[in-house]
Amino acid sequence: MSKEFKRDGSHLAYCPPVEKWDDWVELDAEAWPKRVERHYQLVPTVCFNCESACGLLAYVDKATGQVAKFEGNPMHPASRGRLCAKGPATINQIQDPDRVLYPMKRAGARGAGKWTRTSWDEVLETFGTRIRKAILEGRGEEVMYHVGRPGHDFIMERTLQAWGIDGHNSHTNVCSSSARLGYLLWHYADRPSPDHANARFILLLSAHLESGHYFNPHAQRIIDGKMAGAKLAVMDPRLSNTASMADYWMPTYPGTEAAVLLAMAKVILDEKRFDASFVRKWTNWEELEVDGFSAQGQSFEAVIEALKKHYAKFTPQFAEKESGVRAEVIVKIAREIATAGSRFASHLWRGSASGNLGGWQPARALMLLHVLTGSVGTEGGHNLNAWNKFVPRPFSVPPPQKKWNELLYPREWPLCTHEMSFLLPHFLKEGRGRIEAYFTRVFNPVWTYPDGFSWIEMLRDEDKVGLHAALSPTWSETAWFADYVLPMGFSSERHDLMSQESYAGKWIGFRQPVNRVLRERAGEKFEYTYQANPGEVWEEDEFWIDLSWAIDPDGAMGIRRYFESPYRPGQKLTVDDYYGWIFDHSVPGLPETAKKEGLTPLEYMRKYGAFEVTRDVYKQNEKALSAGDLAGSSVEASGVVKKDGKAIGVMIEDKPVVGYGTPSRKLELFSKTMADWKWPEFTLPEYYRSHIHRSAQGASVGQPGEDFDPEYTPVVEWPKEARGEVYTLLPIFRLPNLIHTRSGNAKFLYEISHKNPLWVNPVDARKLGGVRTGDLMKVHTEIGFFVLHAWVTEGLAPGVVACSHHLGRWRVNKDDQVERMSSAWVDLKEVGKGQWKMRQLETVSPYESLDPETKRVWWSDAGVHQDITFPVHPDPISGMHCWHQMVRVEKASTDDRYGDIFVDTNLSHAVYLRWKALARPAPGPGGLRRPLWIPRVVRPEESAFYMKKA
Amino acid sequence: MRYGFIIDNRKCIGCHACTVACKTENHVPLTVNRTWVKYVEKGTYPNTRRVFQVTRCNHCENPPCVTICPVTAMYQRKDGIVDFSSERCIGCKACMQACPYDSIYIDPDEGTAAKCHYCAHRTEVGLEPACVVVCPEHAIIAGDLDACDGEIAQLLAREPVRVRKPEQNTRPKLYYIDGDESAIVPTAARHEPMYMWSQRNESVHGGGAIYPTDSPLLQKNALAAYDVSHARPWGWQVPAYCWTKAIGSGALAIPAIAMVLGRLGADRMRDVALSTIALLFTALTTVLLVWDLEHKMRFLRVVFMPQKRSWLARGAFILIGYSGVSGLFWIASVLGFSAIAFGLLWPTVLAGFLAAVYTAFLFGQCEGRDLWQTPLLPVHLIVQALLCGAAVLALLPAALGGSDEARDVAKIALLASLVFHLLIVFAEFMMPHSTDNAAYAARLITHGPFKNWFWIAGVLVGGILPLLLLCAPVPEGEPIAAVFALMGLLAFEWCFVMAGQSVPNS
Repeated sequence: MSKEFKRDGSHLAYCPPVEKWDDWVELDAEAWPKRVERHYQLVPTVCFNCESACGLLAYVDKATGQVAKFEGNPMHPASRGRLCAKGPATINQIQDPDRVLYPMKRAGARGAGKWTRTSWDEVLETFGTRIRKAILEGRGEEVMYHVGRPGHDFIMERTLQAWGIDGHNSHTNVCSSSARLGYLLWHYADRPSPDHANARFILLLSAHLESGHYFNPHAQRIIDGKMAGAKLAVMDPRLSNTASMADYWMPTYPGTEAAVLLAMAKVILDEKRFDASFVRKWTNWEELEVDGFSAQGQSFEAVIEALKKHYAKFTPQFAEKESGVRAEVIVKIAREIATAGSRFASHLWRGSASGNLGGWQPARALMLLHVLTGSVGTEGGHNLNAWNKFVPRPFSVPPPQKKWNELLYPREWPLCTHEMSFLLPHFLKEGRGRIEAYFTRVFNPVWTYPDGFSWIEMLRDEDKVGLHAALSPTWSETAWFADYVLPMGFSSERHDLMSQESYAGKWIGFRQPVNRVLRERAGEKFEYTYQANPGEVWEEDEFWIDLSWAIDPDGAMGIRRYFESPYRPGQKLTVDDYYGWIFDHSVPGLPETAKKEGLTPLEYMRKYGAFEVTRDVYKQNEKALSAGDLAGSSVEASGVVKKDGKAIGVMIEDKPVVGYGTPSRKLELFSKTMADWKWPEFTLPEYYRSHIHRSAQGASVGQPGEDFDPEYTPVVEWPKEARGEVYTLLPIFRLPNLIHTRSGNAKFLYEISHKNPLWVNPVDARKLGGVRTGDLMKVHTEIGFFVLHAWVTEGLAPGVVACSHHLGRWRVNKDDQVERMSSAWVDLKEVGKGQWKMRQLETVSPYESLDPETKRVWWSDAGVHQDITFPVHPDPISGMHCWHQMVRVEKASTDDRYGDIFVDTNLSHAVYLRWKALARPAPGPGGLRRPLWIPRVVRPEESAFYMKKA
Repeated sequence: MRYGFIIDNRKCIGCHACTVACKTENHVPLTVNRTWVKYVEKGTYPNTRRVFQVTRCNHCENPPCVTICPVTAMYQRKDGIVDFSSERCIGCKACMQACPYDSIYIDPDEGTAAKCHYCAHRTEVGLEPACVVVCPEHAIIAGDLDACDGEIAQLLAREPVRVRKPEQNTRPKLYYIDGDESAIVPTAARHEPMYMWSQRNESVHGGGAIYPTDSPLLQKNALAAYDVSHARPWGWQVPAYCWTKAIGSGALAIPAIAMVLGRLGADRMRDVALSTIALLFTALTTVLLVWDLEHKMRFLRVVFMPQKRSWLARGAFILIGYSGVSGLFWIASVLGFSAIAFGLLWPTVLAGFLAAVYTAFLFGQCEGRDLWQTPLLPVHLIVQALLCGAAVLALLPAALGGSDEARDVAKIALLASLVFHLLIVFAEFMMPHSTDNAAYAARLITHGPFKNWFWIAGVLVGGILPLLLLCAPVPEGEPIAAVFALMGLLAFEWCFVMAGQSVPNS
């Protein structure tokens, strides 16, 4: 295939033509203007920084055999050859002089910072033996895999189910559980896939032009849409870069977004600007029960009237009072949304959903706008992630596990979308269980989670955590409390298969260990990827295969067979076997496309790195059920088509179609599930006043307003020493060029951002006693405090302060086993039981390393760690950690130093208990732990969903 | 073929991908940038916006960095790209002074000038620059401005665009769609000691630009939320060079003029002494010039491979010429060939004027330093040379040809040159400036961090006190006045050179 990458009318290309990828001749940039030729081989792979999975093209210098730089892969349908700053910075990560190159084992006590090199064989032997014993003794649930951002699809679910254990833990409920619950209550799929490029109006409750799920691919399409004439509105208390680019910035007071969205819905309903035929056809309006009204036997019009009555209180004036956004702006935008109709796209992710108690309500309210405008499943509208993401099946899928792990899905939160991962230290403290073998995988809860000191207390306790391996390319605050640190590769050092809902289409992207691929192409053979990677950096796919063999060496446990080659019976599965089989059998259209080029599907993916599966993605709910589907099915009175007791579709205008994955197979305006699971007050999209609502602020100082309801909101109890004005802290905004703790090893990224000051509006700066940029501020949380500099800005609502969660890394060792350019060396002390103090001993300074550039590190600041001073805030319904913090802010005193941190974990446990008390535990109907229809990661067999009778 | 850029701010999201892609492509070290994204926050809540501006070399049609470069290390290619050669560069940093856009830096590894060169090594093999390829929004558009069917030419034809500092007559070929005043004007935004997610790098040479918080040029509520620092190119050697050169070039002038006017007789000893001073100080001037080079061993390239339009190269020849003719004068004086010495006196004095004044033309080529571009500068430099000549004469001891007669001449000359000097300084700083850049620098001197050096050392000690001393009947007033005047002039040179370089150009 001859592929040229040129824009119209240009004689310059944005990528070398494919036929030259094997020997691309470029002129050396440093030698220029002398013409020194460099010969490169171009190998596609996938970025391993954020979740977007953009396509990279590794330029491997033939003279050195090493990757010289990364550019975008133009064959990747989502990223289209373009990248954010983190893509090219991958080269910094590969060449990071402080990275972990060999498997390391601790040499002293846990957390003492002493390490010695070990071998992969020893690691496999140690973990294989421990896990084998646990499984054989029926303690399989004591084995836990805890993943940060996965960067792969399905392979770990398969591995854990092959082991027969319920041991998958994730970071999702510090990330996105609330948004997911809001979406899934409507349509089962738990993520939106907006078709920005074709929209006429785009509403973002997120910062997708600088961060977010999925930054670069979505930012491209938002701007494409805007350039084609779409208007952009952004709801965010903080002037994000995204808000800066918007036609309308609505700086809502945090947590009031649902009030604004419901006011917009009211305008659309009242002005009869909604798509009545869509609402009638595709929602479960016939099930509505609200305010004493029942839809049973009622007309559609009567239901609309009941809805109008129900939402009557959400006047734009009410929304203005709650949110601070002017009523006329709310009305104007509501009308623009109605005018855009089916071409209304939106995105809500993190931000309001992840910050607030009841953060799933904004997602539900936003979906109401889509339902009213008929912009679900449309070109330019809201689509479902499941329609735009493609996860192909591997050669054999183990049966679901039989057990239910209550450390992951405890009974108090039956509707949580994902594992209650951030409560793990509190669960262990309560004696709910222990962990025999714990894998933290590119996952740094000590730093990224709230209440990190409780994590330290848990991790250093060998009774609670028997054996802990940190699988990570870099040293981290969590890795220091592990028994083993196992180096796993970066973007160009590992295999993974990924897909995301980036646009109106489906694609897969293939990450590959570039050096191994090239050397094998040249005829060398490797058994393991670590033999071709720097040091002994491995990849997880092979690690899990080998570990599975170590657990079940003779196959007697029935585990090994899932890790045997589908092509060579009885022999160990290789990565080529695994992905080769998937590409041969599970990706429609790939074998044919590959064949046209004379390639096997695996060769095609190794050559191009990505494949677009389909563009036929709109209105999948309208797909007719096939004759095969219908055979043996029955239609219920509600119109739901059932087969073998399971809903498979719905009758729409007398035709059987697939519909949505909900119990009604329609968009659930009314959620019977909520009523069944003890929350009848939330069967409809509502406005839930957040834990940082002004009334809750009042309650914290003994002056609850009339809006405060302790049944829904816990009362903050301030530590004695907490002084100063009460504010809401927005602690969760990403910076466009960093990604949590993955990017501390990229010098070019840290050179741009290395400080996370406290944003303060000038009005508040005056109130706080004339605060100026650079002044030292003390921020008290419910469990401690942190001290940092102020940044006085007009880009933030008064009454709110903000601080990015991307900075503030610290290290306990001064020089060894640390990332020196991105962390402060600290004195970490437990001054009393559960009372932790941290003080910065030395900030960032230039240092000698294999990279001469580290002598030139000019910044001295690494920011201040705020998350560790936050208590856990589990939403009683979604299980999300509600990130926003009610804080007290004051000018720091002379005793306070920049970066000072204090936390009392006894207080954090007390906060946990207060929040837990809001939850309404299982069992639900029929003794269920969790509604059967709601998705669950690594889903166990159905019998496990039922609680055992006491 | 004319390569240019369009930065489409309707699309730019300020993500810094271009910055990082440029660094990884071109191996740009930490501390310096070929391209960066300036952020400015403007307005008052809730009517606030953050604007982003990709900032870099403009590949000017009329590039002042090329004109000033003494060795053709900066050059304009036929396709319009302004490129550079590290191998040729001597590290004189004149290009950094000439660039009105802060686009050039000294590579800390090479010690040579570098900047965006449009990824010429890529265009040569048919690829777009790295920043263009990486940009998620295709907000950086590269191409031939003359190719009518190309995207860049079409955008340029249809969209209103603007360039940075058109008043510099550099004719930039980087155009902004929706460029914003608060970011495009370097002196518009307030700079705090830190930015929204970074420190301000004050470890660059000279500490970087100075941002007075009370600058009258600030736009209301415009705050720099992210920016990068740029080194102040020239060190203390350059003001010292201005001073030693004034002494060296003016040493023989006052007696020569006095002799023409019949106020002073010939004196071989005095000629020997003054020409020795001329030679020594001119040599010292050269040493200082070389001292400030990043590549000291390459200094002879200015002579052996000069770029003839550069006043730095021309200046080198003038200094050589002046040293030659004053050297001959010295030999003739030492050997007592008085007729030859007499014949050489005025050529030496005139060559000295040339040596004094060429710096005005060199500073005139520094398009980034508007303060230095004053039309009064040639006259001022001659006045400074005369002032130094008078001071030297006043300090000349009898053993070296000093006399009462000479001291009287020196007194009058010192008085006159001080008055002229103060008048010019007054005109320079009290009259309105033609550009904001010049006004900003002048204010740094009169009201900013240089104010004590300027008012106390430069004006009071260097001007008013010596005037008073000369007018009042103070015994031995002349030599004291001379020392004050010389010290004051040095302080003035310091302020003039350093403040001129402390203005933000981006």
